[in-house]
Amino acid sequence: MKTGALPILTRRRFVTIAAAALVLPAGATARPRRFEWQGSALGARAKIVLYHPDPRAAQAAITACLAEISRLEDQFSLYRPGSALLQLNAAGQLAAPSHDMRRLLAQCRQYSDLSQGAFDPSVQPLWQLYAAHFANQPAAIGGPSLDAIRAVQQHIDYRRIAIGPAEIRLDPGMSLTLNGIAQGYITDRVADLLRNSGWSNVLLNLGEIRALPGRSWKVGLPDAGPTLVLSNSALATSAGAGSPFAGPAGPHHLLHPRTGRSARRYASVSVLAPTAAAADALSTAIYLSPPEGAAALLRQGGGRQAWLRRANGAVRHLTA
Amino acid sequence: MSGRRRGRQNHGRRCNPPLLLIALLALCLTMIAAPAWAKPGERIGPETLAQIFPGAERAGSMAGNPPAASVFKGGARLGYVFSTQDVVGSVGFSGKPIDILVGLTNAGVISGARLRSHNEPILVIGIPDLALRRYVDGFAKVDIHRPGQLREGEAFGALPDAISGATISSAVIGDSIIRAARTVARGRGLLKSTQAKLRLDRENYEPADWQELRADGSIVRLGLSRGAVEQAYRDRVAIPGAEFPGNRSPEELYTELYTGLITPPRVGQNLLGAQAFNRLLGKMGPDDQAILIAGNGLYSFKGTRYRRSGLFDRIQIVQGDKIIRLVKQHYHLFCGLQIAAEPQLREIGVFVIPADTGFDALTDWRLELLISRETKQGARVHLDFPLPYVLPAGYRIGQVSAATAEPPDQLDRVLAYMQRQLNEGEPALWLRNWRDRAGRITVLVGLLLILSAVLVFQDNLVRHQRLYRPVRLIYLTVTVVWIGWYAGAQLSVINVLTFAQSLLSGFRWEFFLLDPLIFILWSYVAVTLLFWGRGVFCGWLCPFGALQELLNEAARLLRIPQINVPFALHERLWPIKHIIFLGLFAVSLHSTILAIAGSEVEPFKTAISMHFIRHWPFVAYVGGLLFLGLFIERFFCRYLCPLGAALAIPARLRMFEWLKRRFQCGHECKVCAVRCTVQAIHPNGSINPNECIYCLACQANYYDDLTCPPLVAKRKRRQERTEKQAAYRAKASQ
Repeated sequence: MKTGALPILTRRRFVTIAAAALVLPAGATARPRRFEWQGSALGARAKIVLYHPDPRAAQAAITACLAEISRLEDQFSLYRPGSALLQLNAAGQLAAPSHDMRRLLAQCRQYSDLSQGAFDPSVQPLWQLYAAHFANQPAAIGGPSLDAIRAVQQHIDYRRIAIGPAEIRLDPGMSLTLNGIAQGYITDRVADLLRNSGWSNVLLNLGEIRALPGRSWKVGLPDAGPTLVLSNSALATSAGAGSPFAGPAGPHHLLHPRTGRSARRYASVSVLAPTAAAADALSTAIYLSPPEGAAALLRQGGGRQAWLRRANGAVRHLTA
Repeated sequence: MSGRRRGRQNHGRRCNPPLLLIALLALCLTMIAAPAWAKPGERIGPETLAQIFPGAERAGSMAGNPPAASVFKGGARLGYVFSTQDVVGSVGFSGKPIDILVGLTNAGVISGARLRSHNEPILVIGIPDLALRRYVDGFAKVDIHRPGQLREGEAFGALPDAISGATISSAVIGDSIIRAARTVARGRGLLKSTQAKLRLDRENYEPADWQELRADGSIVRLGLSRGAVEQAYRDRVAIPGAEFPGNRSPEELYTELYTGLITPPRVGQNLLGAQAFNRLLGKMGPDDQAILIAGNGLYSFKGTRYRRSGLFDRIQIVQGDKIIRLVKQHYHLFCGLQIAAEPQLREIGVFVIPADTGFDALTDWRLELLISRETKQGARVHLDFPLPYVLPAGYRIGQVSAATAEPPDQLDRVLAYMQRQLNEGEPALWLRNWRDRAGRITVLVGLLLILSAVLVFQDNLVRHQRLYRPVRLIYLTVTVVWIGWYAGAQLSVINVLTFAQSLLSGFRWEFFLLDPLIFILWSYVAVTLLFWGRGVFCGWLCPFGALQELLNEAARLLRIPQINVPFALHERLWPIKHIIFLGLFAVSLHSTILAIAGSEVEPFKTAISMHFIRHWPFVAYVGGLLFLGLFIERFFCRYLCPLGAALAIPARLRMFEWLKRRFQCGHECKVCAVRCTVQAIHPNGSINPNECIYCLACQANYYDDLTCPPLVAKRKRRQERTEKQAAYRAKASQ
């Protein structure tokens, strides 16, 4: 059953369907077929694979997923004009925050605490400093000066984000980025949405990968690493080379809040965890943290496995 | 699946040098011929127009925002032509623009697309331009109302497969065509709203009680026990150190939430009473909507902070990509509802949702309840619990047609509902069902007791012809009318398949306890199956069987001629039902849905559960079976019924042989065999337990000294003797 090529209904689902059929008028439908949706979401290529007998139901599910993604992008995106996050950054406060904003910020806070501040959503002023530096002096590969870094670092501290039920407040000069976790969170919400409507056997790839309960999926790690079998779990990767400021050797987006510099230890960190938000946050946190703490971080953060890849290709594999 | 993908990659790697050369040449030619991209005021040449907009005669110039040219035939505008570069500025992998001319009809369908220029290294090197052009051509007839690219093998969707080896560029091309088309369509007002013809029912009132509103989905419920919340925290919050205090009694109701749109008078007026409902409507704008949110349990959906902040911070409404927050100004407190059979509700609120929130009453939405807890480590963890609401179809006015009233995902909704019931939500749904249906359960148990008495005292009953016939006819009538049509307790072969599956997968009592009447009936059938065989169900408790027998009874009264199927043929028709059953069983191992569709062989759903109110082919099928049944009694039972076939298998195990036969049966007399309702008696006089429906007709014959030849002979001898004695006495007295 687990490895069969056919999309298989679980036994319980059979029983449920059969019982449901008693209260329903005829539903002459065939066995589930595989549908694959490809498009763009969260500013990247996205893919959803699902199984259902009826293409209209598959289409309806995709439509619902896209609406959910768009709804959450309106909350967390740094690139979508008017998003709740941009409002918060611009005004230093956000009234009547959505449940999602409160949930995600509370989740961030847990990972910030666990990683002793290595994972910090308030690192955004540092990123802005780098972006401005390379826009003005692309040749100065070393990045901004230490003084400039020290100046913005006083605005970086996740403990100064006040998450209230009716209002979120930042200290003056602070601004947030949720790019280290929002993709994972959104992936989880889409997974919840599908699961609550009775879907199983779904693979979501919205930047982070998550498999709903049901079949197993083969998923590759970066740089031709081992192929994993993903089932009812999530996989996320943080890679510095993903978005460099200047060339492969230059600084990249994974900035350490305290050193003010790009972390250089790993080429990439991949984490397998029960939820995509956990995998996403942990991959960033481990990437930025000292190697001796990686195993504890993985365990305390609810991750299951991690692959820490050095620039020379050596991979350290951790199991929680 | 993987095989097909591999195949496609191989295809991509294979290189055909002559073709490539031709392609490159063609590419160069097109690049020379085509201008960089459309300039404002530019006109589309007639040749290009014919390619991308067949049937059009002329095109206007590029104008407006986003820039597009109108396309005409005679005086009528057929649609628009535009360049993707102008509209969305698509950029390929190489960072240079890709420009495609696209035609779009008024209906929002792409009439054609043509690549004007590109500078894609991957395309130039590896992929024949022909393939690229075919890919772009493939966008003709694509309807832009369908978002994204959803594909299933070859079967679904009009979009072409991506170009192998050039995924990024082809994705960019596809994306920019669709995105530009949607932008133009939105700018020119072509995007059609699928629900334009429908509107919400704000007029029709009919009385309904709480149970009815719950049953038809007007009011939906979310029930969370303490245990369910703990479980959700364990499952959905990944951090293992997060332990939560206070895990005392997991069954205790943590929170219970009801919601529903109450703008339709059938909901609002029934819930609030006419006076309060009209007062509420008076305070609302014409396009505002009102919803009920009511709750019970330890965790209040309102909390207390809203009094100060004005924001209800534990609930939010999510509809599509919108989040709607509820604030104090929208809130109307009600202390009690005016509706019959309402449950006890601790908190009742009505929220008016202003039209400017963009809330659409015709579209599905969900209420999200936020539960926050503090871990032992002092961190706050929030979790959302959704309560989905789907507007019942009855509140949509202007529905297209009744035939399409069964939405394709109805099965899924019911499934999702049941699965939630079973997995997370309500602690003991089955228990409630039993409590709610106590009256029906009592009646059913009474009926079964009567039937048991009939079976135990069968000899005494059948001895009295005058008693047996009315008892049987009345019982059958009750079976059809009460068990079948009123209580809807018709057993089905689906139950058998379900049961078999559940044995394979892990049996759960709760599941079978959900419907008390079906459960009781099946328990009774299981026991009687062991005692007397399958006939007790088929002959006494099956509503459809009873319906056939009663109709045939009426047919005989009207002197409709009966067809006596020759036994040799009769015997050879028996296996049909067994084959049907085995077929359904085999199919069920593979696909449930198919098996359920196949079980439509049973006319039960149409005739009993749905009271014949169904699409005509189903009704025609049942009508045909009942018509045949007028000439051949219980035609369906004899030859087609898969449930009967399934029950016949364990009938061999029966313990009691109470049906009496005489030595002469089959040799000297075949009265019983002829009178048997289902011709279950062999010419040799023996009763076939696989076919027998235990109607006891042969037993009535057995004791009837006007019918049964040995008894008739005995009676005659006795009569003769008494006559002789009387004559002798008379003679003697003379």
